[in-house]
Amino acid sequence: MVDAVHRFPFESMASRCEIRLAAPNAGTAEALAQAAIAEVRRIERTYSRYRADSIVSRINAAAGCYRVECDAETWQLLAYADHLYGASGGLFDITSGVLRRAWDFRKPRVPGPDELAPLLALVDWAAVRREDGAIFLPHAGMEIDFGGFGKEYAADRACAILQQRGARHGYVNLGGDMRFIGPQPDGRPWSIGIQDPRKADGIAASIAVSQGALTTSGDYERCFDLDGKRYCHVLDPRTGMPVSHWRSVSVLAPLAALGGSVSTIAMLKEADALAFLEASGLAYFAIDSAGNAHHHSISGDYAS
Amino acid sequence: MTISKQTPQELAASLLAAALLLPGVRAQADEPPQNGSISLRYLDYADRQPGLDRIHAHSPSVSVTAPVAGDWSVEGTLTADDVSGASPRYHTAISGASHMQDERKAGDVAVTRYFRRGTLTAGAAYSTEHDYVSRALSLNGTLSSEDNNTTWAFGLAGSRDSINPVNHVVVDEHKRTVSVLAGVTRVLTPNDIAQLTLTRTNGSGYYNDPYKLFDNRPRSRRENTVLLRWNHYVDATGGTTRLGYRYYSDSFRIRAHTLSGEYVQPLGNGWTIVPELRLYSQSAAWFYYDPVYDATLGAPFPPGFSNGADPNRLSSPDQRLSGFGAVTVGLKVAREIGKLWTVDVKVEGYEQRGSWRLFHDGSPGLAPLRARVLQVGLTRRW
Repeated sequence: MVDAVHRFPFESMASRCEIRLAAPNAGTAEALAQAAIAEVRRIERTYSRYRADSIVSRINAAAGCYRVECDAETWQLLAYADHLYGASGGLFDITSGVLRRAWDFRKPRVPGPDELAPLLALVDWAAVRREDGAIFLPHAGMEIDFGGFGKEYAADRACAILQQRGARHGYVNLGGDMRFIGPQPDGRPWSIGIQDPRKADGIAASIAVSQGALTTSGDYERCFDLDGKRYCHVLDPRTGMPVSHWRSVSVLAPLAALGGSVSTIAMLKEADALAFLEASGLAYFAIDSAGNAHHHSISGDYAS
Repeated sequence: MTISKQTPQELAASLLAAALLLPGVRAQADEPPQNGSISLRYLDYADRQPGLDRIHAHSPSVSVTAPVAGDWSVEGTLTADDVSGASPRYHTAISGASHMQDERKAGDVAVTRYFRRGTLTAGAAYSTEHDYVSRALSLNGTLSSEDNNTTWAFGLAGSRDSINPVNHVVVDEHKRTVSVLAGVTRVLTPNDIAQLTLTRTNGSGYYNDPYKLFDNRPRSRRENTVLLRWNHYVDATGGTTRLGYRYYSDSFRIRAHTLSGEYVQPLGNGWTIVPELRLYSQSAAWFYYDPVYDATLGAPFPPGFSNGADPNRLSSPDQRLSGFGAVTVGLKVAREIGKLWTVDVKVEGYEQRGSWRLFHDGSPGLAPLRARVLQVGLTRRW
């Protein structure tokens, strides 16, 4: 007897989300999904930079003034961010969110150097002090945010809750970043398409996945085109300008938090992305600015 | 935080380790397989008989083992072969090679379920050439003793082949086989492991080679195999010897013995060298006829053909059904590069002669067959 797959769409973190899972009946599935969705919403509440009472907002409000004590979970997220900063050669910097003040992707306008320079002075993870369970942003106006892997972390946590409660088949999809609980109830993998970065309703590839995580970073979500050039929301923390080498990078990883940060770092690495992806040891599918696909381990009969 | 320079393996390991430190997340707690692997093998195979280059096949194949779900794994291989060359002659002593061009496609998939003390693997395979379609299903299981020193294996497999030769000698012929397997593997000492496997296959249907004249074989075949293997770890050198003996008999009255040995020696720095030797001897099928032809008609007609012998009597000139002995000598060198990559190169020489048989009657009139195999493989784990 194969259990039916139940679907639970919801909105969170400004994205369309969905949980799919197999359960013996609708009631069980509903209870499982609600527990997982509650966890996603908890992380959104705790780490949203748009909520004044979130820990992230409190840390940012204290920039240049005083230290803010962190709970254990926040401390681990900061430690992970620190590790990514080192592993990316300084490109993955959770203080780079201030650059958004100069970029409004609803209007096709490129900010000038005079606008970016004062913001770039605030992008400096290396200057952030963390000691005795407290964090201090040394300059007034500095900000951190967990946008680079918060959604993926939430997908991992939601998946862990579902697995702890006995779910074996299904996945958690938070705005296209997916963490898999297990294969379809009959054992077949899920077939997941990779969004075509230039056709909203098209897919560029597909892959069969049953476990681990599939995450994608791209230049097509918040962006504008001006004079034939694409300006996307992935910003280089050294120049404040959008990266342009890759249309999208998808990564297959054991954890969504890992896949999400590796795909983002790859976007930031521009021409050096392939070497970085190779070194990450993860399977990837990347589409460059000319539309050419580069992939590794997602090939042959593994992709379909 | 300092920006660190890391080697690729350190980067991969450190990224995963850092992500796993995040609270409340977990990777699947599965043991098998810990790494997926993808390998690309390039096989260059050529077999030769004196004066004739027969088959040359280039076969790039990709195989993937991917960790898919909890305690499941799925494996698949796809191969596309190009075979261009003279088809094997019905007798090596006779000329008459026809040109043959053939494309072969094959795929197989296996799903393994891991239990605390055992495994269950279900597999399906499909392969097709334009004149031959083969489908197979299999179910294999293992069960280990509480102390894990003894493992029993059992298996059941079935196949169904459809044969539609291009010369229309027969149309829509079939062959079916059912196999059962039983085996036991036992850890004898910390350095020795031994295995005994028994296989029985019953088949019925079309066993003839449609491209050979006077090839008319029985429509049923019963095959028995006994396989004994012994692996021994040599403390003094850190190497492993792998010895094996196989006995085969079937209702065609072929009896065959195979003795094989290889020695795996790790050399440090990721290098491994594996010399190997295989000796083989088989007796002829009872209906095989040597390259001696009818006195009046000559080749390829079998003796007695002109005297009105039943043309439908069982007979085959297939060299593989003759009595012969064979020797294979090989050497494989493999190098592990980092934790993820392995490169290997294998050179193998094979020679078969009727006069080399050690038991039973041979077929001394047949030309010897030699083959060399050069294989380069590249495997990546991820």
